[in-house]
Amino acid sequence: MPDKMLFGAMLPQQADWYILGPILGVITVCFFLMMNQPLGASGAYIHTMNHVRRVGDRAAWRVWYFAGLGLGGYVVTQFLQDSKGLRIGFDSFRNAAPIWVMVPAIFIGGILIGYGAKLGGGCTSGHGICGTAQRSKSSIAATVTFMTSAILTTGFLRLISGGKL
Amino acid sequence: MNRFRKNIIGLAFGAMFGGVLAAGSLHEYDTIHNMLKLDEFYVFGFMGSAIFIATIGLGILESRNTKTRFGGMIALQRSDVKANHLKGGAIFGCGWAIAGTCPAPVIVMLTSGVFVSLIVIAGIFIGLSLPNKQAPAGFGDGEHRLSGQTVERA
Repeated sequence: MPDKMLFGAMLPQQADWYILGPILGVITVCFFLMMNQPLGASGAYIHTMNHVRRVGDRAAWRVWYFAGLGLGGYVVTQFLQDSKGLRIGFDSFRNAAPIWVMVPAIFIGGILIGYGAKLGGGCTSGHGICGTAQRSKSSIAATVTFMTSAILTTGFLRLISGGKL
Repeated sequence: MNRFRKNIIGLAFGAMFGGVLAAGSLHEYDTIHNMLKLDEFYVFGFMGSAIFIATIGLGILESRNTKTRFGGMIALQRSDVKANHLKGGAIFGCGWAIAGTCPAPVIVMLTSGVFVSLIVIAGIFIGLSLPNKQAPAGFGDGEHRLSGQTVERA
């Protein structure tokens, strides 16, 4: 591939957290400096959906933000890292279970993510990073709850898969 | 003109966030799964250091009463714990563990070439559209203040 020759994995598959974490922290603060708003992803889903339906609260820049997420991910994974190309992904899930179990499971997972984010008022970015950094009690409570729930659920999945997952 | 600038800023910050997630491989199922199995410290370190830096930065902005570019005086949003935060968090956590991804990384997952992630994205949209009487009015950003503030056309 020509793009590989040009950029040949400028970045490793996974850069160190102590570099990326602080960068994300700075991005969060800069975003507040601009918009006075948290950088919430589930909010961007809602606004994108509202734009398509032409109802309710919607800010155009949030749709652009939603598109930006994909764009940034595309540039980094395709040009700056070793591109893995089109693939099924979900590696360890696929190794532990047949695809007819995996597909419905991740679909239900997605519904739970959406429903839970709406009911809880935010997700990992809105509550977990931005809300906690604003020292909001509700965000700290939500973050502790979803962390605990996710760790317990993972333990349960390991149990029912006989330790394969 | 302001709207154009806001859109560009939205796109740029989205791209930066998406880029950082991709650089950390947070869009990979295995990265999230290994954290939740408590096998790897990576994501805890990532989120922890991001929160740490952002808490300090936002604290400074608040104490200096900084004026933001498009949103007036800095106003951090703090709210008390209600039942819906805990219920929603518990349900969200289940989904996060099963799908091994959450709303932002799954978009990066898609553009990284994992076409199967469309199933999760469809699920998230359906989950967000389900009727939900207890959901707070301005949802999606950890109790933000978008309500009534920003109705614009794309």
